[in-house]
Amino acid sequence: MTARPRPSLYARALPYLLIAPTFVIVFLFTLKPTVSAVVDSTFRPARLPQDSPSFVGLENYLALFDPAHHIGARFGGILLNTLLFGFGTVLITTPLALTFAVLINRRLPLRGLWRFGFVYPSLLPVIGAASIWAFIYADQVGLAAAIFGAGNPNWLGSPSLALLSVMVVHIWSQTGYTMLLYLAGMQNIPRDLYEAAALDGAGDVQQLVYITVPLLQRTTLFVLTIAFTFAFQTVDQLQALTEGGPGDRSNLLLYFIYQNIGERRNWGYINAMTVILGAIVLVFTLSNFLLFDRRGRES
Amino acid sequence: MTAYAGKRETTLASSLLTMITFAAAAVWLVPLIFTVLMSVRPPAEPVTQGGIFFGSAITWQNYTRAWEIAPWLTHYANSLIFVVGTLVVQFFTITTAGYAFARMRFFGRDVLLVVMLLQLMIPPGVLLVQNFATIRDLGLFDTHVAMMIPYWGSAFGVLLLRQAFRGIPLELDEAARMDGASVFQLLRHIYVPLSVPTYIAFAVVSVSSHWNEFLWPLLITQSENVRPLTVALNRLIRTADQGSLYSLLMAGTVLVIAPLSIVFIVFQRRFVESFASSGLK
Repeated sequence: MTARPRPSLYARALPYLLIAPTFVIVFLFTLKPTVSAVVDSTFRPARLPQDSPSFVGLENYLALFDPAHHIGARFGGILLNTLLFGFGTVLITTPLALTFAVLINRRLPLRGLWRFGFVYPSLLPVIGAASIWAFIYADQVGLAAAIFGAGNPNWLGSPSLALLSVMVVHIWSQTGYTMLLYLAGMQNIPRDLYEAAALDGAGDVQQLVYITVPLLQRTTLFVLTIAFTFAFQTVDQLQALTEGGPGDRSNLLLYFIYQNIGERRNWGYINAMTVILGAIVLVFTLSNFLLFDRRGRES
Repeated sequence: MTAYAGKRETTLASSLLTMITFAAAAVWLVPLIFTVLMSVRPPAEPVTQGGIFFGSAITWQNYTRAWEIAPWLTHYANSLIFVVGTLVVQFFTITTAGYAFARMRFFGRDVLLVVMLLQLMIPPGVLLVQNFATIRDLGLFDTHVAMMIPYWGSAFGVLLLRQAFRGIPLELDEAARMDGASVFQLLRHIYVPLSVPTYIAFAVVSVSSHWNEFLWPLLITQSENVRPLTVALNRLIRTADQGSLYSLLMAGTVLVIAPLSIVFIVFQRRFVESFASSGLK
Protein backbone atom coordinates (compact mmCIF):
# COMPACT_ATOMS: atom_id res chain seq x y z
CA MET A 1 0.00 0.00 0.00
CA THR A 2 3.05 2.20 0.25
CA ALA A 3 3.47 1.74 -3.49
CA ARG A 4 0.99 4.47 -4.43
CA PRO A 5 3.43 6.33 -6.70
CA ARG A 6 3.82 3.10 -8.69
CA PRO A 7 0.35 1.53 -8.61
CA SER A 8 1.16 -1.05 -11.23
CA LEU A 9 3.77 -2.66 -8.99
CA TYR A 10 1.26 -2.87 -6.18
CA ALA A 11 -1.32 -4.28 -8.55
CA ARG A 12 1.12 -6.89 -9.75
CA ALA A 13 2.23 -7.81 -6.25
CA LEU A 14 -1.29 -7.91 -4.84
CA PRO A 15 -2.27 -11.49 -5.76
CA TYR A 16 0.96 -12.79 -4.22
CA LEU A 17 0.31 -10.78 -1.06
CA LEU A 18 -3.20 -12.23 -0.87
CA ILE A 19 -2.01 -15.81 -1.04
CA ALA A 20 1.15 -15.25 1.02
CA PRO A 21 -0.29 -16.09 4.48
CA THR A 22 -1.64 -19.42 3.23
CA PHE A 23 1.63 -20.21 1.51
CA VAL A 24 3.78 -19.43 4.53
CA ILE A 25 1.81 -22.08 6.44
CA VAL A 26 1.81 -24.58 3.58
CA PHE A 27 5.56 -24.06 3.20
CA LEU A 28 6.35 -24.43 6.91
CA PHE A 29 4.06 -27.36 7.72
CA THR A 30 3.73 -29.26 4.45
CA LEU A 31 6.46 -28.52 1.90
CA LYS A 32 9.46 -28.13 4.17
CA PRO A 33 8.64 -31.15 6.36
CA THR A 34 7.93 -33.33 3.30
CA VAL A 35 11.27 -32.49 1.75
CA SER A 36 13.13 -32.86 5.02
CA ALA A 37 11.47 -36.23 5.72
CA VAL A 38 12.67 -37.50 2.35
CA VAL A 39 16.18 -36.06 2.78
CA ASP A 40 16.59 -37.09 6.41
CA SER A 41 15.43 -40.60 5.63
CA THR A 42 18.75 -41.09 3.83
CA PHE A 43 20.87 -40.08 6.83
CA ARG A 44 21.84 -41.77 10.04
CA PRO A 45 21.95 -39.48 13.09
CA ALA A 46 25.36 -39.14 14.77
CA ARG A 47 25.83 -40.57 18.25
CA LEU A 48 26.55 -37.13 19.65
CA PRO A 49 24.19 -34.25 18.95
CA GLN A 50 27.03 -31.94 17.88
CA ASP A 51 28.34 -34.30 15.18
CA SER A 52 26.81 -34.22 11.74
CA PRO A 53 24.69 -37.13 10.51
CA SER A 54 26.12 -39.45 7.88
CA PHE A 55 24.59 -40.18 4.50
CA VAL A 56 23.49 -43.80 4.21
CA GLY A 57 21.41 -43.85 1.03
CA LEU A 58 18.54 -46.30 1.27
CA GLU A 59 19.94 -48.18 4.26
CA ASN A 60 17.21 -46.96 6.61
CA TYR A 61 14.55 -48.31 4.28
CA LEU A 62 16.36 -51.64 3.92
CA ALA A 63 16.62 -51.87 7.71
CA LEU A 64 12.85 -51.47 8.02
CA PHE A 65 12.39 -54.64 5.99
CA ASP A 66 15.18 -56.55 7.74
CA PRO A 67 13.65 -58.84 10.40
CA ALA A 68 17.00 -59.04 12.23
CA HIS A 69 17.08 -55.27 12.80
CA HIS A 70 15.67 -53.82 16.04
CA ILE A 71 13.19 -51.63 14.16
CA GLY A 72 12.75 -53.93 11.18
CA ALA A 73 11.69 -56.73 13.51
CA ARG A 74 8.67 -54.63 14.46
CA PHE A 75 8.04 -52.64 11.29
CA GLY A 76 6.76 -55.49 9.08
CA GLY A 77 3.99 -56.44 11.48
CA ILE A 78 3.03 -52.82 12.08
CA LEU A 79 2.83 -52.09 8.36
CA LEU A 80 0.66 -55.18 7.92
CA ASN A 81 -1.57 -54.04 10.81
CA THR A 82 -1.88 -50.61 9.22
CA LEU A 83 -3.00 -52.07 5.89
CA LEU A 84 -5.34 -54.53 7.62
CA PHE A 85 -6.81 -51.70 9.69
CA GLY A 86 -7.24 -49.47 6.62
CA PHE A 87 -8.76 -52.06 4.30
CA GLY A 88 -10.71 -53.86 7.03
CA THR A 89 -12.41 -50.78 8.42
CA VAL A 90 -13.13 -49.17 5.05
CA LEU A 91 -14.50 -52.32 3.45
CA ILE A 92 -16.88 -52.83 6.36
CA THR A 93 -17.81 -49.17 6.95
CA THR A 94 -18.69 -48.35 3.34
CA PRO A 95 -21.36 -51.02 2.61
CA LEU A 96 -22.70 -50.61 6.14
CA ALA A 97 -23.04 -46.85 5.64
CA LEU A 98 -24.80 -47.38 2.30
CA THR A 99 -27.22 -49.79 3.97
CA PHE A 100 -27.95 -47.31 6.76
CA ALA A 101 -28.42 -44.52 4.23
CA VAL A 102 -30.93 -46.60 2.26
CA LEU A 103 -32.75 -47.53 5.46
CA ILE A 104 -32.97 -43.98 6.72
CA ASN A 105 -33.84 -42.39 3.38
CA ARG A 106 -37.45 -43.56 3.74
CA ARG A 107 -40.58 -42.34 5.42
CA LEU A 108 -39.86 -43.04 9.08
CA PRO A 109 -41.26 -41.92 12.40
CA LEU A 110 -38.63 -39.99 14.43
CA ARG A 111 -36.19 -39.97 11.56
CA GLY A 112 -34.05 -37.23 13.14
CA LEU A 113 -33.48 -39.38 16.20
CA TRP A 114 -32.33 -42.43 14.23
CA ARG A 115 -30.10 -40.30 12.07
CA PHE A 116 -28.61 -38.81 15.21
CA GLY A 117 -28.05 -42.34 16.50
CA PHE A 118 -25.89 -43.21 13.52
CA VAL A 119 -24.11 -39.88 13.17
CA TYR A 120 -23.20 -38.87 16.72
CA PRO A 121 -20.18 -41.21 17.02
CA SER A 122 -18.55 -39.34 14.12
CA LEU A 123 -18.83 -36.12 16.08
CA LEU A 124 -17.13 -37.40 19.18
CA PRO A 125 -13.43 -36.87 19.57
CA VAL A 126 -11.79 -40.20 18.68
CA ILE A 127 -10.33 -40.17 22.19
CA GLY A 128 -13.87 -39.80 23.60
CA ALA A 129 -15.06 -42.75 21.53
CA ALA A 130 -12.05 -44.70 22.77
CA SER A 131 -12.89 -43.78 26.35
CA ILE A 132 -16.41 -45.18 25.95
CA TRP A 133 -15.05 -48.38 24.45
CA ALA A 134 -12.46 -48.65 27.21
CA PHE A 135 -15.45 -49.14 29.49
CA ILE A 136 -17.21 -51.54 27.10
CA TYR A 137 -14.10 -53.70 26.77
CA ALA A 138 -13.10 -53.49 30.44
CA ASP A 139 -12.32 -56.82 32.07
CA GLN A 140 -15.10 -58.12 34.33
CA VAL A 141 -16.75 -54.75 34.93
CA GLY A 142 -17.30 -53.68 31.33
CA LEU A 143 -20.43 -53.80 29.21
CA ALA A 144 -19.13 -56.65 27.04
CA ALA A 145 -18.43 -58.64 30.22
CA ALA A 146 -22.03 -58.10 31.29
CA ILE A 147 -23.24 -59.38 27.91
CA PHE A 148 -20.86 -62.30 27.42
CA GLY A 149 -20.62 -63.36 31.05
CA ALA A 150 -17.95 -65.91 31.87
CA GLY A 151 -17.06 -66.39 28.20
CA ASN A 152 -16.03 -62.74 27.79
CA PRO A 153 -12.65 -62.63 26.06
CA ASN A 154 -9.91 -60.18 26.95
CA TRP A 155 -10.68 -57.87 24.03
CA LEU A 156 -7.77 -55.48 24.27
CA GLY A 157 -5.24 -57.77 25.91
CA SER A 158 -5.42 -60.77 23.64
CA PRO A 159 -2.98 -60.82 20.71
CA SER A 160 -5.59 -62.15 18.30
CA LEU A 161 -8.40 -59.73 19.26
CA ALA A 162 -6.63 -56.44 20.03
CA LEU A 163 -6.46 -55.10 16.47
CA LEU A 164 -10.01 -56.25 15.74
CA SER A 165 -11.31 -54.54 18.89
CA VAL A 166 -9.66 -51.29 17.86
CA MET A 167 -11.13 -51.63 14.36
CA VAL A 168 -14.62 -52.01 15.84
CA VAL A 169 -14.25 -48.60 17.51
CA HIS A 170 -13.21 -47.01 14.21
CA ILE A 171 -16.08 -48.64 12.29
CA TRP A 172 -18.57 -47.56 14.92
CA SER A 173 -17.36 -43.98 14.81
CA GLN A 174 -16.92 -43.54 11.04
CA THR A 175 -20.06 -45.18 9.62
CA GLY A 176 -22.32 -42.23 10.42
CA TYR A 177 -20.21 -39.67 8.57
CA THR A 178 -20.02 -41.95 5.54
CA MET A 179 -23.78 -42.42 5.73
CA LEU A 180 -24.24 -38.64 5.55
CA LEU A 181 -22.18 -38.50 2.38
CA TYR A 182 -24.33 -41.24 0.86
CA LEU A 183 -27.54 -39.46 1.92
CA ALA A 184 -26.30 -36.30 0.21
CA GLY A 185 -25.48 -38.31 -2.92
CA MET A 186 -28.97 -39.83 -2.91
CA GLN A 187 -30.60 -36.40 -2.99
CA ASN A 188 -28.95 -35.82 -6.37
CA ILE A 189 -30.64 -38.80 -7.99
CA PRO A 190 -33.61 -37.51 -10.01
CA ARG A 191 -36.89 -38.73 -8.61
CA ASP A 192 -38.43 -39.34 -12.03
CA LEU A 193 -36.01 -42.23 -12.51
CA TYR A 194 -37.70 -44.05 -9.64
CA GLU A 195 -41.14 -43.09 -10.88
CA ALA A 196 -40.38 -44.33 -14.39
CA ALA A 197 -38.95 -47.55 -13.01
CA ALA A 198 -41.99 -48.04 -10.80
CA LEU A 199 -44.26 -47.55 -13.83
CA ASP A 200 -42.32 -50.25 -15.63
CA GLY A 201 -43.00 -52.55 -12.71
CA ALA A 202 -39.59 -52.45 -11.00
CA GLY A 203 -39.84 -53.30 -7.29
CA ASP A 204 -37.93 -51.62 -4.48
CA VAL A 205 -35.06 -54.08 -4.61
CA GLN A 206 -34.72 -53.66 -8.36
CA GLN A 207 -34.78 -49.88 -8.00
CA LEU A 208 -32.05 -50.13 -5.42
CA VAL A 209 -29.87 -52.42 -7.51
CA TYR A 210 -30.40 -50.75 -10.89
CA ILE A 211 -30.77 -47.09 -9.95
CA THR A 212 -29.55 -46.15 -6.48
CA VAL A 213 -26.32 -48.14 -6.28
CA PRO A 214 -25.05 -47.45 -9.82
CA LEU A 215 -25.84 -43.74 -9.58
CA LEU A 216 -23.99 -43.52 -6.29
CA GLN A 217 -20.80 -44.80 -7.89
CA ARG A 218 -19.15 -41.39 -7.77
CA THR A 219 -20.04 -40.96 -4.13
CA THR A 220 -18.66 -44.42 -3.42
CA LEU A 221 -15.32 -43.63 -5.05
CA PHE A 222 -15.10 -40.41 -3.09
CA VAL A 223 -16.10 -42.09 0.17
CA LEU A 224 -13.50 -44.81 -0.32
CA THR A 225 -10.63 -42.41 -0.88
CA ILE A 226 -11.36 -40.18 2.09
CA ALA A 227 -12.08 -43.14 4.34
CA PHE A 228 -8.72 -44.73 3.50
CA THR A 229 -6.89 -41.44 4.03
CA PHE A 230 -8.57 -40.97 7.37
CA ALA A 231 -7.99 -44.55 8.50
CA PHE A 232 -4.23 -44.25 7.98
CA GLN A 233 -4.03 -41.06 10.05
CA THR A 234 -6.26 -42.00 12.97
CA VAL A 235 -4.36 -43.50 15.84
CA ASP A 236 -5.79 -41.56 18.82
CA GLN A 237 -7.73 -44.60 20.01
CA LEU A 238 -4.50 -46.57 20.45
CA GLN A 239 -3.25 -44.11 23.05
CA ALA A 240 -6.35 -44.79 25.15
CA LEU A 241 -6.98 -48.46 24.47
CA THR A 242 -3.91 -50.58 23.80
CA GLU A 243 -0.86 -48.37 23.25
CA GLY A 244 -0.23 -50.62 20.27
CA GLY A 245 -0.02 -53.76 22.39
CA PRO A 246 0.08 -56.53 23.29
CA GLY A 247 3.51 -56.80 21.67
CA ASP A 248 2.68 -54.48 18.74
CA ARG A 249 -0.28 -56.66 17.75
CA SER A 250 -2.54 -53.59 17.46
CA ASN A 251 0.16 -51.05 16.62
CA LEU A 252 -0.24 -48.76 13.61
CA LEU A 253 2.36 -46.86 11.62
CA LEU A 254 1.60 -43.30 12.72
CA TYR A 255 1.39 -44.36 16.35
CA PHE A 256 4.72 -46.18 16.07
CA ILE A 257 6.22 -42.99 14.65
CA TYR A 258 4.74 -41.05 17.56
CA GLN A 259 6.16 -43.56 20.06
CA ASN A 260 9.66 -43.11 18.64
CA ILE A 261 9.80 -39.33 18.45
CA GLY A 262 11.96 -39.07 21.54
CA GLU A 263 14.47 -41.67 20.32
CA ARG A 264 17.22 -39.72 18.58
CA ARG A 265 19.03 -42.82 17.35
CA ASN A 266 15.90 -43.90 15.47
CA TRP A 267 15.36 -40.63 13.60
CA GLY A 268 16.56 -42.03 10.28
CA TYR A 269 14.04 -44.86 10.52
CA ILE A 270 11.27 -42.56 11.69
CA ASN A 271 11.80 -40.40 8.63
CA ALA A 272 11.82 -43.43 6.37
CA MET A 273 8.55 -44.58 7.98
CA THR A 274 7.04 -41.11 7.57
CA VAL A 275 7.93 -41.21 3.88
CA ILE A 276 6.29 -44.64 3.52
CA LEU A 277 3.16 -43.52 5.38
CA GLY A 278 3.06 -40.30 3.35
CA ALA A 279 3.35 -42.34 0.15
CA ILE A 280 0.47 -44.62 1.20
CA VAL A 281 -1.74 -41.63 1.99
CA LEU A 282 -0.66 -39.90 -1.21
CA VAL A 283 -1.79 -42.86 -3.34
CA PHE A 284 -5.33 -42.46 -2.01
CA THR A 285 -5.54 -38.67 -1.98
CA LEU A 286 -3.99 -38.39 -5.42
CA SER A 287 -6.44 -40.88 -6.89
CA ASN A 288 -9.21 -38.84 -5.28
CA PHE A 289 -7.93 -35.71 -7.05
CA LEU A 290 -7.50 -37.40 -10.39
CA LEU A 291 -10.95 -38.95 -10.20
CA PHE A 292 -12.67 -35.74 -9.12
CA ASP A 293 -10.57 -33.19 -10.96
CA ARG A 294 -13.04 -32.95 -13.83
CA ARG A 295 -15.80 -32.05 -11.42
CA GLY A 296 -13.82 -29.08 -10.08
CA ARG A 297 -13.04 -27.80 -13.58
CA GLU A 298 -16.66 -27.77 -14.69
CA SER A 299 -17.66 -24.78 -12.65
CA MET B 1 -34.71 -36.01 1.70
CA THR B 2 -37.92 -37.38 0.36
CA ALA B 3 -38.83 -41.00 0.50
CA TYR B 4 -38.74 -42.49 -2.96
CA ALA B 5 -40.34 -45.80 -2.08
CA GLY B 6 -43.89 -44.77 -1.54
CA LYS B 7 -46.99 -46.70 -2.35
CA ARG B 8 -45.39 -49.74 -3.96
CA GLU B 9 -44.01 -50.88 -0.65
CA THR B 10 -46.29 -53.33 1.09
CA THR B 11 -47.06 -52.47 4.68
CA LEU B 12 -45.43 -55.65 5.91
CA ALA B 13 -42.11 -55.15 4.09
CA SER B 14 -42.15 -51.51 5.06
CA SER B 15 -42.61 -52.11 8.75
CA LEU B 16 -39.96 -54.84 8.63
CA LEU B 17 -37.47 -52.35 7.19
CA THR B 18 -38.47 -49.82 9.82
CA MET B 19 -37.81 -52.40 12.53
CA ILE B 20 -34.39 -53.15 11.05
CA THR B 21 -33.58 -49.43 11.02
CA PHE B 22 -34.56 -49.03 14.65
CA ALA B 23 -32.57 -52.11 15.65
CA ALA B 24 -29.45 -50.91 13.84
CA ALA B 25 -29.71 -47.40 15.28
CA ALA B 26 -30.31 -48.88 18.72
CA VAL B 27 -27.10 -50.91 18.46
CA TRP B 28 -25.26 -47.73 17.48
CA LEU B 29 -26.80 -45.85 20.41
CA VAL B 30 -26.01 -48.45 23.07
CA PRO B 31 -22.52 -47.10 23.84
CA LEU B 32 -23.90 -43.59 24.35
CA ILE B 33 -26.79 -44.76 26.50
CA PHE B 34 -24.51 -46.77 28.75
CA THR B 35 -22.01 -43.95 28.98
CA VAL B 36 -24.72 -41.76 30.44
CA LEU B 37 -26.13 -44.53 32.65
CA MET B 38 -22.69 -45.48 34.00
CA SER B 39 -21.94 -41.88 34.81
CA VAL B 40 -24.84 -41.74 37.29
CA ARG B 41 -24.22 -45.18 38.81
CA PRO B 42 -22.66 -45.43 42.27
CA PRO B 43 -18.84 -45.56 41.95
CA ALA B 44 -17.30 -49.03 41.64
CA GLU B 45 -20.65 -50.70 41.00
CA PRO B 46 -20.30 -52.90 37.90
CA VAL B 47 -23.13 -53.08 35.35
CA THR B 48 -23.96 -56.61 36.47
CA GLN B 49 -24.82 -55.43 39.96
CA GLY B 50 -28.20 -53.90 40.75
CA GLY B 51 -30.41 -53.19 37.73
CA ILE B 52 -28.42 -53.29 34.50
CA PHE B 53 -29.83 -49.92 33.50
CA PHE B 54 -30.15 -47.82 36.62
CA GLY B 55 -27.98 -49.63 39.15
CA SER B 56 -28.86 -49.55 42.82
CA ALA B 57 -29.17 -45.77 42.96
CA ILE B 58 -28.74 -42.68 40.84
CA THR B 59 -25.97 -40.37 41.96
CA TRP B 60 -24.12 -37.24 40.81
CA GLN B 61 -21.06 -38.24 42.83
CA ASN B 62 -19.06 -39.21 39.75
CA TYR B 63 -19.55 -35.79 38.22
CA THR B 64 -18.48 -33.93 41.34
CA ARG B 65 -15.42 -36.15 41.66
CA ALA B 66 -14.55 -35.94 37.98
CA TRP B 67 -14.92 -32.18 38.18
CA GLU B 68 -12.43 -32.03 41.06
CA ILE B 69 -9.81 -34.21 39.36
CA ALA B 70 -8.90 -31.80 36.58
CA PRO B 71 -9.13 -28.04 35.96
CA TRP B 72 -11.95 -28.52 33.45
CA LEU B 73 -12.74 -24.84 33.05
CA THR B 74 -9.17 -24.25 31.93
CA HIS B 75 -9.42 -27.15 29.49
CA TYR B 76 -12.74 -25.90 28.10
CA ALA B 77 -11.16 -22.48 27.66
CA ASN B 78 -8.10 -24.00 25.96
CA SER B 79 -10.24 -25.97 23.52
CA LEU B 80 -12.26 -22.85 22.83
CA ILE B 81 -9.14 -20.73 22.28
CA PHE B 82 -7.77 -23.44 19.98
CA VAL B 83 -10.85 -23.66 17.73
CA VAL B 84 -11.72 -19.95 17.72
CA GLY B 85 -8.12 -18.83 17.27
CA THR B 86 -7.77 -21.27 14.39
CA LEU B 87 -11.03 -20.28 12.73
CA VAL B 88 -10.60 -16.50 12.96
CA VAL B 89 -7.19 -16.56 11.27
CA GLN B 90 -8.43 -19.10 8.73
CA PHE B 91 -11.26 -16.78 7.73
CA PHE B 92 -8.76 -14.10 6.78
CA THR B 93 -6.28 -16.33 4.98
CA ILE B 94 -8.83 -18.35 3.02
CA THR B 95 -10.76 -15.24 2.02
CA THR B 96 -7.81 -13.40 0.49
CA ALA B 97 -6.31 -16.51 -1.12
CA GLY B 98 -9.73 -17.71 -2.28
CA TYR B 99 -10.29 -14.37 -4.00
CA ALA B 100 -6.85 -14.35 -5.64
CA PHE B 101 -7.36 -17.83 -7.05
CA ALA B 102 -10.95 -17.18 -8.09
CA ARG B 103 -10.72 -13.75 -9.70
CA MET B 104 -7.14 -12.69 -10.40
CA ARG B 105 -4.70 -13.57 -13.13
CA PHE B 106 -1.10 -13.78 -12.11
CA PHE B 107 2.05 -15.54 -13.18
CA GLY B 108 2.30 -19.08 -11.79
CA ARG B 109 -1.27 -19.21 -10.52
CA ASP B 110 -2.05 -22.76 -11.56
CA VAL B 111 1.27 -24.12 -10.34
CA LEU B 112 0.81 -22.40 -6.99
CA LEU B 113 -2.69 -23.85 -6.68
CA VAL B 114 -1.34 -27.36 -7.17
CA VAL B 115 1.44 -26.71 -4.66
CA MET B 116 -1.16 -25.59 -2.14
CA LEU B 117 -3.18 -28.75 -2.75
CA LEU B 118 -0.23 -30.78 -1.46
CA GLN B 119 -1.57 -29.91 1.99
CA LEU B 120 -4.65 -32.01 1.26
CA MET B 121 -2.58 -34.84 -0.17
CA ILE B 122 -0.10 -35.08 2.69
CA PRO B 123 -1.98 -33.86 5.78
CA PRO B 124 0.17 -32.11 8.44
CA GLY B 125 -0.82 -34.82 10.92
CA VAL B 126 1.28 -37.36 9.04
CA LEU B 127 4.40 -35.19 9.33
CA LEU B 128 4.39 -35.34 13.13
CA VAL B 129 8.14 -35.53 13.72
CA GLN B 130 9.11 -32.75 11.33
CA ASN B 131 6.34 -30.41 12.47
CA PHE B 132 7.24 -31.06 16.08
CA ALA B 133 10.80 -29.95 15.28
CA THR B 134 9.50 -26.82 13.51
CA ILE B 135 7.41 -25.86 16.53
CA ARG B 136 10.47 -26.24 18.76
CA ASP B 137 12.60 -24.19 16.39
CA LEU B 138 10.00 -21.43 16.38
CA GLY B 139 10.07 -21.45 20.18
CA LEU B 140 6.36 -22.23 20.33
CA PHE B 141 6.41 -25.49 22.28
CA ASP B 142 3.65 -25.65 24.90
CA THR B 143 1.69 -22.64 23.67
CA HIS B 144 -1.80 -22.17 22.25
CA VAL B 145 -0.30 -20.86 19.03
CA ALA B 146 1.59 -24.13 18.53
CA MET B 147 -1.70 -26.01 18.35
CA MET B 148 -3.24 -23.60 15.85
CA ILE B 149 -0.45 -22.51 13.56
CA PRO B 150 -0.35 -25.51 11.16
CA TYR B 151 -4.03 -24.86 10.39
CA TRP B 152 -3.80 -21.12 9.80
CA GLY B 153 -3.52 -21.84 6.12
CA SER B 154 -6.19 -24.16 4.79
CA ALA B 155 -6.09 -25.46 1.23
CA PHE B 156 -9.50 -27.00 1.80
CA GLY B 157 -10.97 -23.64 2.81
CA VAL B 158 -9.32 -21.82 -0.08
CA LEU B 159 -10.82 -24.35 -2.50
CA LEU B 160 -14.29 -23.97 -0.98
CA LEU B 161 -14.18 -20.17 -1.20
CA ARG B 162 -12.63 -20.15 -4.65
CA GLN B 163 -15.64 -22.16 -5.77
CA ALA B 164 -18.10 -19.86 -3.98
CA PHE B 165 -16.45 -16.63 -5.21
CA ARG B 166 -16.49 -17.85 -8.82
CA GLY B 167 -20.26 -18.11 -8.59
CA ILE B 168 -20.61 -14.39 -7.82
CA PRO B 169 -21.48 -12.31 -10.94
CA LEU B 170 -18.39 -10.60 -12.34
CA GLU B 171 -20.46 -7.49 -13.12
CA LEU B 172 -20.82 -6.74 -9.41
CA ASP B 173 -17.07 -6.86 -9.07
CA GLU B 174 -16.48 -4.61 -12.08
CA ALA B 175 -19.11 -2.06 -11.09
CA ALA B 176 -17.58 -1.71 -7.63
CA ARG B 177 -14.12 -1.35 -9.11
CA MET B 178 -15.36 1.47 -11.38
CA ASP B 179 -16.46 3.24 -8.23
CA GLY B 180 -12.91 2.92 -6.96
CA ALA B 181 -13.36 0.13 -4.44
CA SER B 182 -10.20 -1.62 -3.30
CA VAL B 183 -9.90 -5.39 -3.17
CA PHE B 184 -10.48 -5.37 0.56
CA GLN B 185 -13.64 -3.29 0.17
CA LEU B 186 -14.83 -5.67 -2.55
CA LEU B 187 -14.30 -8.61 -0.25
CA ARG B 188 -15.97 -6.95 2.68
CA HIS B 189 -19.03 -5.62 0.91
CA ILE B 190 -19.64 -8.13 -1.88
CA TYR B 191 -17.76 -11.41 -1.72
CA VAL B 192 -17.93 -12.24 1.98
CA PRO B 193 -21.61 -11.33 2.56
CA LEU B 194 -22.65 -13.32 -0.51
CA SER B 195 -20.74 -16.42 0.61
CA VAL B 196 -22.03 -16.77 4.15
CA PRO B 197 -23.31 -20.35 3.68
CA THR B 198 -19.86 -21.45 2.51
CA TYR B 199 -18.25 -19.81 5.54
CA ILE B 200 -20.70 -21.60 7.80
CA ALA B 201 -20.00 -24.95 6.16
CA PHE B 202 -16.27 -24.38 6.54
CA ALA B 203 -16.67 -23.24 10.15
CA VAL B 204 -18.64 -26.37 11.07
CA VAL B 205 -16.00 -28.66 9.61
CA SER B 206 -13.07 -26.68 11.04
CA VAL B 207 -14.49 -26.30 14.54
CA SER B 208 -15.60 -29.88 14.93
CA SER B 209 -12.36 -31.34 13.65
CA HIS B 210 -10.14 -29.15 15.85
CA TRP B 211 -12.36 -29.46 18.90
CA ASN B 212 -11.82 -33.21 18.59
CA GLU B 213 -8.13 -33.12 17.80
CA PHE B 214 -5.85 -35.10 20.06
CA LEU B 215 -2.46 -36.37 18.92
CA TRP B 216 -1.03 -33.03 17.77
CA PRO B 217 -1.96 -31.09 20.95
CA LEU B 218 -0.75 -34.02 23.04
CA LEU B 219 2.62 -33.87 21.32
CA ILE B 220 3.30 -30.14 21.40
CA THR B 221 1.85 -29.16 24.77
CA GLN B 222 2.94 -29.99 28.26
CA SER B 223 1.13 -27.90 30.83
CA GLU B 224 -2.49 -27.95 31.99
CA ASN B 225 -2.74 -24.25 31.16
CA VAL B 226 -2.55 -24.99 27.47
CA ARG B 227 -3.87 -28.51 26.99
CA PRO B 228 -7.33 -28.98 25.45
CA LEU B 229 -10.16 -31.21 26.68
CA THR B 230 -9.19 -34.23 24.63
CA VAL B 231 -5.75 -34.40 26.21
CA ALA B 232 -7.28 -33.97 29.66
CA LEU B 233 -9.64 -36.85 28.94
CA ASN B 234 -6.70 -39.02 27.97
CA ARG B 235 -5.19 -38.47 31.42
CA LEU B 236 -8.47 -39.37 33.06
CA ILE B 237 -8.60 -42.60 31.03
CA ARG B 238 -5.17 -43.53 32.42
CA THR B 239 -6.22 -42.86 35.99
CA ALA B 240 -9.60 -44.58 35.64
CA ASP B 241 -8.25 -47.64 33.88
CA GLN B 242 -5.80 -48.42 36.65
CA GLY B 243 -8.42 -48.25 39.38
CA SER B 244 -11.34 -49.61 37.34
CA LEU B 245 -13.10 -46.31 38.01
CA TYR B 246 -15.35 -46.53 35.01
CA SER B 247 -18.28 -44.56 36.42
CA LEU B 248 -15.85 -41.73 37.00
CA LEU B 249 -14.43 -42.09 33.50
CA MET B 250 -17.89 -42.03 31.92
CA ALA B 251 -18.75 -38.87 33.86
CA GLY B 252 -15.54 -37.28 32.56
CA THR B 253 -16.34 -38.47 29.05
CA VAL B 254 -19.77 -36.84 29.23
CA LEU B 255 -18.13 -33.59 30.36
CA VAL B 256 -15.90 -33.70 27.28
CA ILE B 257 -18.42 -34.77 24.65
CA ALA B 258 -21.42 -32.78 25.88
CA PRO B 259 -20.72 -29.31 24.39
CA LEU B 260 -20.33 -30.35 20.76
CA SER B 261 -23.12 -32.94 21.03
CA ILE B 262 -25.53 -30.27 22.28
CA VAL B 263 -24.52 -27.90 19.50
CA PHE B 264 -25.05 -30.75 17.04
CA ILE B 265 -28.51 -31.59 18.36
CA VAL B 266 -29.57 -27.95 18.18
CA PHE B 267 -28.14 -27.35 14.70
CA GLN B 268 -28.52 -30.86 13.33
CA ARG B 269 -29.64 -29.73 9.89
CA ARG B 270 -26.79 -27.27 9.53
CA PHE B 271 -24.25 -29.89 10.48
CA VAL B 272 -25.65 -32.48 8.13
CA GLU B 273 -25.71 -30.02 5.24
CA SER B 274 -22.24 -28.67 5.98
CA PHE B 275 -20.61 -32.07 6.20
CA ALA B 276 -22.36 -33.28 3.11
CA SER B 277 -21.70 -30.23 0.95
CA SER B 278 -18.12 -29.67 2.03
CA GLY B 279 -17.41 -33.32 1.53
CA LEU B 280 -18.68 -33.46 -1.98
CA LYS B 281 -17.11 -30.29 -3.30
